[in-house]
Amino acid sequence: MRLHDTTLLALRAITAHRLRSFLTLLGIAVGIAAVILLTSIGEGIHRFVLAEFTQFGTNVVSISPGKTKTSGPAPTGIPSSVRPLTLEDARALQRLPHVTGMTATVWGNTEVNANGRLRRTTVHGVSADTLKVYNIKVRSGQFLPAEDSENARAFAVLGAKLKSELFGSANPLGARVRIGNLQFRVIGVLEAKGQFLGIDLDDAAYIPTARALELYNRDGIMKIDVSYEEGVPAARVADAIKALLATRHGREDFTITTQEDMLRTLSNILDILTMAVGALGGSSLLVGAVGIVTIMTIAVAERTGEIGLLVALGAPRRTILGLFLGEAVALSAVGGVMGLALGIGLAQLIHLAVPALPVHTPITFVILAEGIAIGIGLLAGVLPARRAAQLDPVEALRTE
Amino acid sequence: MRTPDLIRFAHGAATGNPLRTALLVLAMAIGVAAVVVLTALGDGARRYVMNEFSSLGSNLVIVLPGRSQTGGFSPGNAITNTPRDLTVDDAQALQRASAVRLVAPLAVGTSEISYGGKLREVMVAGTTSQFLEVRRMTLAQGRFLPDADWRRGAAEAVIGAKVREEMFGNTPALGQLVRIGDRRFRIVGVLASSGQGLGMNTDELVIVPVALAQAMFNSNTLFRILIEATSRDAIEPAKAQVAAIIKERHEGEEDVTVITQDAVLATFDRLLGTLTLGVAGIAAISLAVAGILVMNVMLVSVTQRTAEIGLLKALGATGDTIRLAFLTEATMLSLAGAVLGFVLGHAGAAIIRQLFPAFPAFPPDWAVLAGLLTALVTGILFGVLPARQAARLDPVQALSRR
Repeated sequence: MRLHDTTLLALRAITAHRLRSFLTLLGIAVGIAAVILLTSIGEGIHRFVLAEFTQFGTNVVSISPGKTKTSGPAPTGIPSSVRPLTLEDARALQRLPHVTGMTATVWGNTEVNANGRLRRTTVHGVSADTLKVYNIKVRSGQFLPAEDSENARAFAVLGAKLKSELFGSANPLGARVRIGNLQFRVIGVLEAKGQFLGIDLDDAAYIPTARALELYNRDGIMKIDVSYEEGVPAARVADAIKALLATRHGREDFTITTQEDMLRTLSNILDILTMAVGALGGSSLLVGAVGIVTIMTIAVAERTGEIGLLVALGAPRRTILGLFLGEAVALSAVGGVMGLALGIGLAQLIHLAVPALPVHTPITFVILAEGIAIGIGLLAGVLPARRAAQLDPVEALRTE
Repeated sequence: MRTPDLIRFAHGAATGNPLRTALLVLAMAIGVAAVVVLTALGDGARRYVMNEFSSLGSNLVIVLPGRSQTGGFSPGNAITNTPRDLTVDDAQALQRASAVRLVAPLAVGTSEISYGGKLREVMVAGTTSQFLEVRRMTLAQGRFLPDADWRRGAAEAVIGAKVREEMFGNTPALGQLVRIGDRRFRIVGVLASSGQGLGMNTDELVIVPVALAQAMFNSNTLFRILIEATSRDAIEPAKAQVAAIIKERHEGEEDVTVITQDAVLATFDRLLGTLTLGVAGIAAISLAVAGILVMNVMLVSVTQRTAEIGLLKALGATGDTIRLAFLTEATMLSLAGAVLGFVLGHAGAAIIRQLFPAFPAFPPDWAVLAGLLTALVTGILFGVLPARQAARLDPVQALSRR
């Protein structure tokens, strides 16, 4: 049978019982819509989280004291009994090839006293290159100057929120602030950066690392971040750092994490979550598939006479099989398209209503969903189609 | 029509077409089973987390260095420094508080333990004798740290089950000398093996006196102070007393956060409860799809049984009776599907419990009831339209068709 005729026959069979066909379509459509909606939300969150992480630059390698345990690295900041990372270690790293910036970080929680106001906030001890490493910009004034780290002058740079809390709309440049029991002079204010995983980046003050070590009475750096040139493989930079520090410390008593590793692990976790959520919607798809099987079975039973006539006219069994399979696939394909439209529409609607919830429907998902719908049609239609193809024409024509 | 006749009629219609009935029941069953299994997973996760927390100790109040401007816990302060140390003496002073029963200072860090040529990275916790009771831990062998002066400490260590296994294997661990960091310690106890716990996994922990840990990590400040209040009602007063004592000792500076385990627990409970609800809602969508299927099939069967309906009407059945008959059929199908789904769902949850014994995957009663009810209501709701259509058939027209 020509493809044209098969298609016409299938379409006519579907439109003959419009309500019935529509309801079957609806079953698949709701299932696909549920899956697309959920995975769109999942993918939206995935992209959002990745964007949050990569806002600090992707060409970054982190070094922390203490070796990686077999059960994974210890959370950053916990002390270690091995040799601490020092400012000299950090300075040595700066001179490695391909390194564009380095910042040695110490952070803590303390009171900042300025302009007659008091605020308890996070204070970060950082190096002058921090702007380069973390993609932060200065809104007014300047960042910490690049100078000899041990004798760094007591300058402070305020985050946007801290500045407004302490100084309101007044210009803080040149003002004195008291952090803990040390005095600092404000030389800059950063641009607003927003929140990062629940931590307010703007409610912070930035001082030289050496001063922070003094403030918190430590002699070890908590974390060193190194940024490197674009295009250079992270592994090469990590190896160079490992070699240098191992020589300085006598052994490998530190942990190196590349941004790539972190992002990859994060991406994997988020992908698994999105898939799990999609599978949740899969139960409705399953029911939709059962729906197609049911309706096609009924259709075959109803049209025994028609089938018998076709066979009597000489149609091979394969044609009958193809006819009914085609009907099932057509039903599920159209249902799939409906479901896609419904799902994507709902996702966009939710995003409009709740702008905080990111949604994103990649083309691959759309194609995959339609593919799954067609697959369901094929699988669901096989049994009824085979039944139709195996009908005895004499018996079929006799039934009325 | 009398009720037994109604039921028999519906039953006859259902069994007259076994494949169709089976598929309908299956569709409903999948929906209900999905709700049951998914809520079992969600509730299991909630119960697992709650269990882990309550195994940490009850009536627990925790002191963390650092405080956010607004008070309360901030993730940025989970691990931080403060200009003023939270000292062992501060912890000792807390013992004076009336609402406090036990106090255990805690200093943590990573280090290496070595014995007999074997080297291993471990998490080291420096604490005092009351830690064992506050954290509800049990010993497998030996004893815990002795009740001694907190500012000093004998070079003794208690190790976790996994550490013992990896470092000592079959040889006895008690009494052996090991090297932790740059110092030597004698093993005096081994902790009982715990499951995978939240936060610190005690199997890979090494516990030493707090004074020695602080020397090892060259730090004079504590990581946390764990406090057990005298009773449940004493938790809030204990919180206030502890904050006041530390503020006084720190010359009026409020540089610690005091949290109760209850508050953390309540947050998790709420979070996971909402998650379970969301998951159940998604599973319920499949019930809606099953309902659409029921409606579809019932509509088809009405067109196929026109002659039968015509005959019934000619024999005197009213529109109401016809409607009732079809509604009964829809209800029966949904009920059968719901019961089957209930059984399948519980079986699924049982299989999960077999595969993951630590995970209490029990479907909560409210979810099961909601699932069953939704299935029933869906079936009845989606059966109304076909029933009405059947009732509206003109008997003459219906009978004339063959």
